[in-house]
This record gives sequence, C-alpha cells and structure tokens, in this order.
Amino acid sequence: MIPPEPVAPESIDRLCALAALSIPAERRRALAPMLAGLVAAANELSQKMADPRHRTVVPIVRFPER
Amino acid sequence: MAPTDVLNLTIREAAAQIERSALSPVELTDAMLQRITHVDKTLNAYITVCGEQAREVALAAEKMIRAGYHLGPLHGIPIAIKDNIYTRGVRTTAGSKILADFVPQEDATVTARLKRAGAVIIGKTNLHEFAWGGTTDNPHYGTCRNPWNPERFPAGSSGGSGAAVAARTCLGALGTDTGGSIRLPSSVNGIVGIRPTIGRVSNHNVVPLAWTMDTVSPMTRTVEDCVLMFEIIAGHDPLDDHSAQAPVADYRGELGRGLRGLRVGLIRDYSLSHVQPAVGQTIRAALTALESLGVEIEEIAMPSIHGNISAQLTIESCEPSTYHQEWLRTRAADYGDDVRTLLELGEMYLATHYLQAQRYRSVLRKEFLDGFKRVDVFVTPTLPFTATPCGATTVVIEDNRQEDMLSAIMQFTGVPSLAGLPALSVPVGFDAAGLPVGMQVIGRPFDEATLFRLGHAYQRATDWHTRAPRL
Repeated sequence: MIPPEPVAPESIDRLCALAALSIPAERRRALAPMLAGLVAAANELSQKMADPRHRTVVPIVRFPER
Repeated sequence: MAPTDVLNLTIREAAAQIERSALSPVELTDAMLQRITHVDKTLNAYITVCGEQAREVALAAEKMIRAGYHLGPLHGIPIAIKDNIYTRGVRTTAGSKILADFVPQEDATVTARLKRAGAVIIGKTNLHEFAWGGTTDNPHYGTCRNPWNPERFPAGSSGGSGAAVAARTCLGALGTDTGGSIRLPSSVNGIVGIRPTIGRVSNHNVVPLAWTMDTVSPMTRTVEDCVLMFEIIAGHDPLDDHSAQAPVADYRGELGRGLRGLRVGLIRDYSLSHVQPAVGQTIRAALTALESLGVEIEEIAMPSIHGNISAQLTIESCEPSTYHQEWLRTRAADYGDDVRTLLELGEMYLATHYLQAQRYRSVLRKEFLDGFKRVDVFVTPTLPFTATPCGATTVVIEDNRQEDMLSAIMQFTGVPSLAGLPALSVPVGFDAAGLPVGMQVIGRPFDEATLFRLGHAYQRATDWHTRAPRL
C-alpha cells in the first residue's frame, strides 16, 4: 500500500464546508488520520484501474441476469 | 416431547411433526419464547420479542392443521427477523435511535412471503446500527453476544440473527448481507447462512445500507433448512427495481445429487493465506472431507483479487453516506460514535474513487466468470479468525500483528459481494477454544443450488452442525 499522505485538519474543515456538513472540531481532528488511510487505499485502487488493460471497463451498479 | 428436544429440532424435523399433528405450533412457539426468556438476558440477540402476536399466529396455525390445511414446511415454524426488515405493526429500528419509534404500515416482501407460508414471527433481532459494521456492539440496544462464549462477539451486522439461531431461540432467521453481514455471524456462531445473487431475493421495504450490494437471506442450523426458507423468499418481486426475472431453481430437488466430479477452486495466494493457523487447518480438513465425497480441487490465479478491501470500503462508505445525508446533518448526535464516524468519512471521498471502485467490480467479476469455466465453485474461509472478545477494535491474525477489525473482517466475504455472486457459509469445525470456524463457498450468478448441494453433502458427512452451545 502507498504510505498515506497526512491529511491536515484544515482539509477536513474545507471538505465539511463544501459539503455543508457541520462536525465538531474534536471529531474533525480525529477524522484526519482515518481519511488519510482510506484515501491512500482508494488512490492505490485508482492507480490499478488506470492500467491500459482496464481502459474499456465500465462501472457496475447493476448486474446482468445472465 | 421434552422442551430440550423441541429446541433442538431442525425446521425439516419440526415441520414433519407439525404436519402429522405430533407437535403443536403453540407448544413449539412457547418453548422458543421460554428459551428467549432464559438466555436472552445474556445474549441480547433480540430488540423486540413478539410474544403475544407469535402465540396468536401459532394458535391459528394449529387450528388450520386441525382443520386439515397445511401451508408447507414453514407452517407453524418460529422464525426471527433482523430489525432492519419491515414488519407491519411491529417496530423496525434498524438498530438505531433514529428509527427507534418507526412502526411500518407494510411488511417487507420477504416478511410477507414468510407469513403467507405459515411462519410464526417470534421477534426482531439485534444488529449493528443501520447494519453498518461487523460486531453488533450496539450502543442503543446493547452488545449482542456469542452463545459459544458470551465474552466473544457474534460478528455482524446480523449478529442477533446468528446468536438467536445458534442459541435455539428460533428455528431460522432472516439476515441482510451487504459485505458479509449474514456470512460473518453465520461463521462465528456455527450456523449456515447464504448471501444470494443480487436480485434473487427482494429488498423491498428493507432499510438499505449500500444499494448496489444489499441482499436479504436466511440463517439456519442446516443447509436443508436454509433451502426451505430460501425457496419461499426467492423470486421476482415487481416492487423491487433490482429484482431479477431469472427462474428459481428446484433447490430441494438438487440437494441429493452428490458431489462426484464437482470442481472446487482455490484462489492462489488468497484462499488459504493470511488466516489464523486454526482456521487454515480447519478449512484444509474440510477440503479433505470434500475430496472424499468426490470433488476435484484446482488452484486458480486471480490477479485482481487484492483490491477488494479498498473497493468495499469505498462503496460501503459512499452509498450509506448518501442514504444518511439528511439525518447526518439534522440528527448526528443520535448515531453511535463508530457509525457516525464512518458516515462522516463517506462524505469525503472523491466521486472518482467511488467510480473506480465500481469499475473494479467489473474486473473482479470477469475474473470470477473466467474462473467458472474451469471450476464450479470457489472456497475460502468465511473469516480469517474466530470470534474476538466483545468490544475489540483490532484482531491478531498472524505474526502477533494487531490489525484493524473492519478491514480484517472484510478479507473474504467482500469478494462475492463486489462481484455480485452468491456465497454460502457452512460450519466446518472449531478452534482449540471451542469457537466455530466457517467455510465460504462462492458460486456462479443464480447458481445457489450448487452451493446448497455442496453444503448439504458436507453436512451429511460431518456432525459439526449438530453441536450446540452450552447456555
């Protein structure tokens, strides 16, 4: 896994403001390291999906019956 | 019949006795209600016990039998329902404070189908709040506990259904499974549970967790009982937009076919990797037992398998946060701390993260469909570890390394959820501490019949499923 880049509490503040989501300051501080880990893992998956082998792959949100 | 004998009956055995009037539905229901009174102070498997209504329905079921009407194998059988599945006139909390007073005016389609088949709804079972978590450590309705050792967790999110079935307080239960929520508690409580193919069983009037992965299905002590419940609830539902038109198989008819020539796949560097030693040994023993029944085992590479946990976390973060968006802004303090944290984090992913995770599902599904050209099913452990202490947030799997519980719990069950495939968990033994181990069997889309066939043959050759926790 790619080592997580730290997420600054100010970044959480900004995201909350953009989403109109009010989160108390102490909770925002606790979210920062967790978000760093999740985003690092999601970025790693995005990198895998950028492989040219997967260029034609479309997202699945509903499965075909057969 | 002595009450303990009644408690240990399977659905098939109880149904046979009810049909020939050797067992009264009222006697059976009363025995279950007494058992709940006796053990549920310890287990906390139920949020609501429907004592009076259950007795009324059982009495009606008994009158019908006396009048010569028999509705089938669920007639007069006490069944529990996870508390995120609507029950008309009975509160449906989803394990939350937010829905603490919600009394649905309608049944879920699965509830209605069970009732029409004559089932007696005995109660609503505890769950992880809004089904978003794997421990059933519920801050609003209390911590649910494992009947094999009440200091240990029952897993989740359908932990109450798992504990209720294992503790003989009902003959079967419904759970819901998004990333493993039926199979995980089935594994650690030593029972059978199936996640169906998406679309096989209706989700109508079930509180959602993640729309593109949610399913509903039975949890029972035997595969045969699982089939008896599954055949009632499976099939198209016009009220569910994601419901499949695919025909429902003759599951009971398939059970007796045996396993000779069935091909079982192990996923290279995955199926038996990163598991507690006792889990690995138990799964290997189960594979040996399957070989003696005639299956052939083959190892298959699946290069994309190792993106699964990130994809599951991403989808299971973004979709619930969408459903809960308004409540998170108006009633945030009413959530338990862990679920509130997950819902807040789900608001902070990028849209591209979510869509890459959904694209990953296409890749994973294609690798499975390619694999199914060579094998009929794939096998993994259901969980890489046995039941952890209640309240634990980390777990040791190997090398004395503490790992985050939420990621560790997703190691095996997330894969069929992402790929939209059916998967069965069957009890296959115990560790040295007497805690159950489950084996996950993954099948082709809409081929639940082969999973049932394998599980049933295994249970006919072994006796793990006949063992009961001491409570």
